[in-house]
Amino acid sequence: MELAKIEALLDAYFEGNTSLEEETTLRAYFNSEGVAPHLEAYRSIFVGFETAKAEVSERDLKLPTNASKSNRAWWYSIAASLVIAISVGGYIFNQPSLSQEEKDALAAFQQSKEAMLLLSSNFNKGTEQLTFINEITETKNKILK
Amino acid sequence: MKQKEFIATVIPFKDKLYRLAKRILVSNDEAEDAVQEVYLKLWKGKKKLKDYRNPEAFAMTMTKNYCLDRLKSKQASNLKIVHNNFQNTDNVERQVEANDGVSMVFKIMETLPEQQRIILQLRDVEQFEFSEIAEMLESNETAVRVSLSRARKTVREELIKKYNYGIS
Repeated sequence: MELAKIEALLDAYFEGNTSLEEETTLRAYFNSEGVAPHLEAYRSIFVGFETAKAEVSERDLKLPTNASKSNRAWWYSIAASLVIAISVGGYIFNQPSLSQEEKDALAAFQQSKEAMLLLSSNFNKGTEQLTFINEITETKNKILK
Repeated sequence: MKQKEFIATVIPFKDKLYRLAKRILVSNDEAEDAVQEVYLKLWKGKKKLKDYRNPEAFAMTMTKNYCLDRLKSKQASNLKIVHNNFQNTDNVERQVEANDGVSMVFKIMETLPEQQRIILQLRDVEQFEFSEIAEMLESNETAVRVSLSRARKTVREELIKKYNYGIS
């Protein structure tokens, strides 16, 4: 590499006017042996950049495993809805389904219950009249002390 | 996006994020923490990550913003940044020779304004195109060029000052 060209590149470099390729040329030149003595001062700049690029992060990346957590939440919701579906379904399907015989028995029970009620209300009709007797006794007691 | 796919997308530029964070925060530990934090944020917003046409530039912007915020809150709470000396220089003999000069360059870089430091890092270390840097910094190419030129000239002047001082 001609010295004049390097010097020209160097000038352009400090003006911010070099392309990436030209900067690569400069880096290669200054990282090689035989840098011209009057350019020695610039060497550490380019060697420095080269060294800086060799640095690497030494800590391993730690990512939270929240992917599996959200999956678990999914499973929870599925399990919960299953439980609800089963209990609701169970309730509906376990409603007593009556056979013909049972229905007849139920109707007979209903009828006899009505008959009993009728009987008891008629019973009470008789006791209603007794209140008059009580009234008479009370008045009589007031007069005849 | 599954974790595997996410990692495949973001791991390739992990070191670049780290170096940028380190350039801003100086300390190794701080930089590692920052990278961790940025990846957490990226992971949380992973659905959006797909929509960005350049995840790398997006991650770089995030890192830059995060580190600048850290720096600001640090200065506010008066905490001192732990300084770590540069270590990875002893693997090549030629670099050992230039080691003094190199550490000088790094010291000078630390004194640059943050924006210039970031641009110098992105251009001269990571070799991004001006258009990419402008995108990462939400700026324009001309402004990037100007800052870069300023940063390079400052490094040169400071270095020559120290170099001459060392010789005489």
